[in-house]
Amino acid sequence: MTNSNQYWKGLEEIETSLSSTTNQGEFGDEGLPLDEVFSDSEGLSSNRRDFLKYFGFSVSAVALAACNKAPVKYAVPYVEKPENVTPGVPLYYATNCGIYNEGYPIVAKVREGRPIKLDGNEKSPLASGGLSAAGQASILSLYDVHRLPNPVIDGEEQEDWAEVDKAVKAALKAAGSKGVRIVTRTVSSPLLQNAINKFKEAYPNTEHVVYDPISYSGILSANEQSFGKRVIPNYRFDKAEVVVSFGADFLGTWVSPTRFAADYVQLRRPTEEDSTMSRHYQIEGLMSMTGTNADYRYPMNDSKHGLLLANLYNKLGGSVSVPSMDLPANALEKIAADLRSAKGKSLVVSNSNDVNVQVMVNAINDILGNYGSTIDMGTSLNISAYDEAAFNNFASDAGKGNIGAAIMIGVNPVYHHAKGGALAEALKNVGTVISTSMNMDETTESASIVAPDDHWLESWDVKEPMSGQYTFSQPVISKVFNTRSVIHSLHTWAGNDLTGDQPVMDLAKAYVSDLGAPWKQSIHDGFYSKPVASEAASFVANVSAAASSIASGSSSDVELVLYQKVGVLDGTWSLNPWCHELPDPVTKVAYDNYVTVAKRDADEVFNLENGDFVKVTTPNGTIDRLPVLIQPGQARGTIGVALGYGRKVNKQESNDLVDLGKNAYPLTSESNGSTSYLVSSGISLEKVGSGYTFAQTQTHWSIEGRDTIREATLSEYETNPKVRNEHAPHIVSLWNEHDYSKGHHWGMAIDLNACNGCGSCVVSCSIENNVPIVGRDEIRRRREMHWIRIDRYYSFNSGGEALTKEKAIDSKVDGGEYDHYEKVSTMHVPVMCQHCDNAPCETVCPVLATTHSTEGLNQMTYNRCIGTKYCGNNCPYKVRRFNWFRYNLNSKYNYHFNSELGRMVLNPDVTVRSRGVMEKCSFCVQNIQMAKLKAKRENRKLAEGDVSTACQRSCPTNAIVFGDRNDPNSRIAQLFNNNRSYKMLEETDVKPSVVYMTKIRNKELEQETTTSHS
Amino acid sequence: MSNTFYSNSTFLAILVLVVVLILITGLLYAIQRQVAKMVMAKHPEDSEPSYYNRVIKPVVSDWNPTIVTLVVIGALVVILGAWGYGYGMNEVGVQQGYSPDQPINYSHKLHAGDLKIDCQYCHSTASYSKHASIPSANTCMNCHKGVQLRDRYDGEVSPEIQKIYDAIGFDADNGVYIEDYPQKPIKWVRIHNLPDLAYFNHSQHVSVAGLECQTCHGPIEEMEKVYQFSTLQMGWCINCHRERGIDVENNDYYEDLHKDMKAQGKHWVSVAENGGLECSKCHY
Repeated sequence: MTNSNQYWKGLEEIETSLSSTTNQGEFGDEGLPLDEVFSDSEGLSSNRRDFLKYFGFSVSAVALAACNKAPVKYAVPYVEKPENVTPGVPLYYATNCGIYNEGYPIVAKVREGRPIKLDGNEKSPLASGGLSAAGQASILSLYDVHRLPNPVIDGEEQEDWAEVDKAVKAALKAAGSKGVRIVTRTVSSPLLQNAINKFKEAYPNTEHVVYDPISYSGILSANEQSFGKRVIPNYRFDKAEVVVSFGADFLGTWVSPTRFAADYVQLRRPTEEDSTMSRHYQIEGLMSMTGTNADYRYPMNDSKHGLLLANLYNKLGGSVSVPSMDLPANALEKIAADLRSAKGKSLVVSNSNDVNVQVMVNAINDILGNYGSTIDMGTSLNISAYDEAAFNNFASDAGKGNIGAAIMIGVNPVYHHAKGGALAEALKNVGTVISTSMNMDETTESASIVAPDDHWLESWDVKEPMSGQYTFSQPVISKVFNTRSVIHSLHTWAGNDLTGDQPVMDLAKAYVSDLGAPWKQSIHDGFYSKPVASEAASFVANVSAAASSIASGSSSDVELVLYQKVGVLDGTWSLNPWCHELPDPVTKVAYDNYVTVAKRDADEVFNLENGDFVKVTTPNGTIDRLPVLIQPGQARGTIGVALGYGRKVNKQESNDLVDLGKNAYPLTSESNGSTSYLVSSGISLEKVGSGYTFAQTQTHWSIEGRDTIREATLSEYETNPKVRNEHAPHIVSLWNEHDYSKGHHWGMAIDLNACNGCGSCVVSCSIENNVPIVGRDEIRRRREMHWIRIDRYYSFNSGGEALTKEKAIDSKVDGGEYDHYEKVSTMHVPVMCQHCDNAPCETVCPVLATTHSTEGLNQMTYNRCIGTKYCGNNCPYKVRRFNWFRYNLNSKYNYHFNSELGRMVLNPDVTVRSRGVMEKCSFCVQNIQMAKLKAKRENRKLAEGDVSTACQRSCPTNAIVFGDRNDPNSRIAQLFNNNRSYKMLEETDVKPSVVYMTKIRNKELEQETTTSHS
Repeated sequence: MSNTFYSNSTFLAILVLVVVLILITGLLYAIQRQVAKMVMAKHPEDSEPSYYNRVIKPVVSDWNPTIVTLVVIGALVVILGAWGYGYGMNEVGVQQGYSPDQPINYSHKLHAGDLKIDCQYCHSTASYSKHASIPSANTCMNCHKGVQLRDRYDGEVSPEIQKIYDAIGFDADNGVYIEDYPQKPIKWVRIHNLPDLAYFNHSQHVSVAGLECQTCHGPIEEMEKVYQFSTLQMGWCINCHRERGIDVENNDYYEDLHKDMKAQGKHWVSVAENGGLECSKCHY
């Protein structure tokens, strides 16, 4: 059985008509305009004389520039050195990541008093050690130039908090009988809840309104109907042997994705000893990251999910009267069969925010006996308690002028709410709007008093993200700006004047002691767990009513799904360039949101091409201009637009964050009391332009159809553990082999079964290694600097012909191509420098700037590099990156590298590279050296786990393992000998130090693939 | 305050002065000759051979003008070249001999030499950190809370010691720290500067290799004012890595290496042989 899949990365590879972006040189090098410079022709702007003039000028300019005095450097020690703080030695503090409501436990690495890196707290039961891409990037929100340096009263900055308190108290007094509204996100912090309660005592006329940017009220209401509890239960993907997801992107964006990903992967790693593997079905309209990881994926419009669920319910023994419906090839019966055989060990989830659909999901899970095993109603996730009705009351009260004062705490409904524009108007009728936002966001613009909250890395807090699980925040930096914790502010405004240097710490301490937890240990660990009694759930909802409501729903030819992207999420923190520089895991587009359209729809229904601009008209609103992206795998009749874009950037700045994308929140609507992210009718696309070039990295660094990926099915693996790796290539070596048997020999293993493509490693690597942000335009020129990229390959079976650019299949010739576009299967392959033992880059460097170490590292010495790029051209993996500019000094790249504040996040142990040099993954050699030094100082041998790379630490699914291959007991040595491991392009005999582990899918060899045309 | 080895402004001032003086000398000489001519014209009988004709001419007249010119030019080349070399090296960061004035006239000769205070009493982080670190002012106060040298300054605190008190907020007369004092960190001028592209870790050399501070920093215990003893150039690093051995016997980290050496009958291995010359040991 050969691997007959054809792998391809982008449409331009299989359609000769779309090859424009592949014409560029390998490094985006468009060639020097020599003809222009050297031409004597009159018509051109410069000639030989000009050239000589400029030449003379530049020689003298260089001579003049060289006459600077060597700068005087100062060394300023502490006046009183704090205990434990040592210049040059990092400290690690457990705290939690504030960008999620889920209170994700993290460890912050702090150098010289400033946090420079966040990683998951692997000791905590809520974290695997990994941290999502957005979580990694969130450290930059601390050093954000958009943050407010001081409180603001009526547009004037005010340094004195006493004045702020005076103004707020006056406003609260003036509110009188109209009362006060406190608007917060779902409160998972008991300290904040206590502060709100205190505030309510002082101002009895206060109402607390919960507002979340993304609503899960469909699930909440369904659980209220089903079990009498308005909660989001804990989903146990680690116990689910069959997972059926109807559109829920639970690995990327749905509910608590980082933890779900860690749980999910536990049943996705078959070994020779235990080949248990879960089976994952994904039924979805868009192509989500979770969908790319599924064993079976069925493109199906989201509006039909309700009916499918009802039919599935009937197949599982339920009985509701709905029109019958099935997936192609009777797949629903197959799903039902799998579910039946995994009762109590399966999980059905849906992204729908419609209460009826979620009741149906609950009914199925109930009939499967999943409550109490894979769904735990006893432990709820305190991440969403948003109730649309309560917030709508607030908005209408505001509009009617019935609110005396509104305190907006960490919420931005003017941006996130469908009727944000109207809300901004309504807020004008509120007596006083007080905001505690850290920056001047869309809602805060309506506020007359801004009392900026501390950043979550600057403050104390306690969170209870899950029943019985407490995580603790502690400040890891002294305040960057003149801000104050909102908990402190609320207490002060309630007349409860807190005393002491760190009043919120005292509150936290009191709370922790009430919990019965040891204070120091809790803060040290960052978490505390309390046993929660499990609860029996008895299902009482009216399934028939839900089914008939589903059956009466209508669907039309075109529907729009509004979704979140993995890096940008709901857009709250999207003024962060790292989130945008990260290419989307599926589309591989950096920056921009766009309309994703299925290939066949684009050709036959809308008559659109990739890069055309369209006006999107829906009954809820319109977006006047968005580019179109043709997305393989998308269901016909579904178009998608990402939320979280179109944020307003207030500060005068010029970079790609200004006017970035379009805000799609106004297209959401409410139905059945829940926000709907599905617009199922009345949609039209009108072409208003064409020719947009996406900053899309998918075909950058192409490896020309070489055999780099291995994929097999579980049954194949069970019969042959070496499946796809059976044939060792015949190698004739041209190299003088080095001896790496002594000392260390570093190696890395990447399990393609565990990698879900989330991109966390990409952001983590950028932060650890001071990788610059280059912006959209440079990415279009294929000049992105990421040291690690995640290649995303689509494949379809087409009879064993290898697919290369030369053998491109033109869609117009291949009659059945539309099937291909819908039924793609997807692979994610992270690629970084492979540290080849016989490295081809080293042999071509004319100046020995890249050399090999005795520990097997391919070393890159920036100061020797003269920028010939020979090494990059000779690298078979295309992992070398060329520095085209001095990104830290060039005002064109106006991101964190260019501001004093943003530079605080740089890793002081890693060089900031200059213009004209090559750079690439170093296997985080700074960490290797640091770990070796520590071992030497402690007079011991290096132990397993001492050395880690940034990508490895950030991976939520632990797909990456790093270590010393010469230590026979190490995990890495064992993985190098694993039958599933293979080396990419082994036949070239470059002897990479990275092994990949064959991707295993738990699916049967499909009948349909063998019948497909060839 | 001269902060660099070759201060630009001082040099320029001297250059201008030299040029002006040469011009004035030339002018005076011309005037003097004019006056002498006039005197000679009036009283030819009184004319006496000039100093030049009398003393210098007999000597110089025999010299070969070509050789003289070459010698003069050669001397200029040597002098200007030496200056240019030093200046250029300073420009690229080689600042051997750099000895800037410091905000406090702290004497290593007194503290480390005469009083024999251990280096790591103050530079305590050298054994476990990348940086040796300049001690914080509260370290100074361990001794200088008492040591005020009033006997030498008419009952007043030594002005240099007073600078520590000003930084940390110490009331010497009452012997108490001033509350809520706005502390002013002392801005020492950094002498040993490595470029950003080179990673150096003190603890590797102090704790693991067990080097004396003086190996790199020179006779620090004799320096009134610290100067940069070594060039801190890469060649200097490399030489040391070639010449020095690793103490494999007393560090379990090197257990495997030690076994190998025993098997090969080797008793000594240099840093270089164990990969100490590889680029990414210092450059990343």
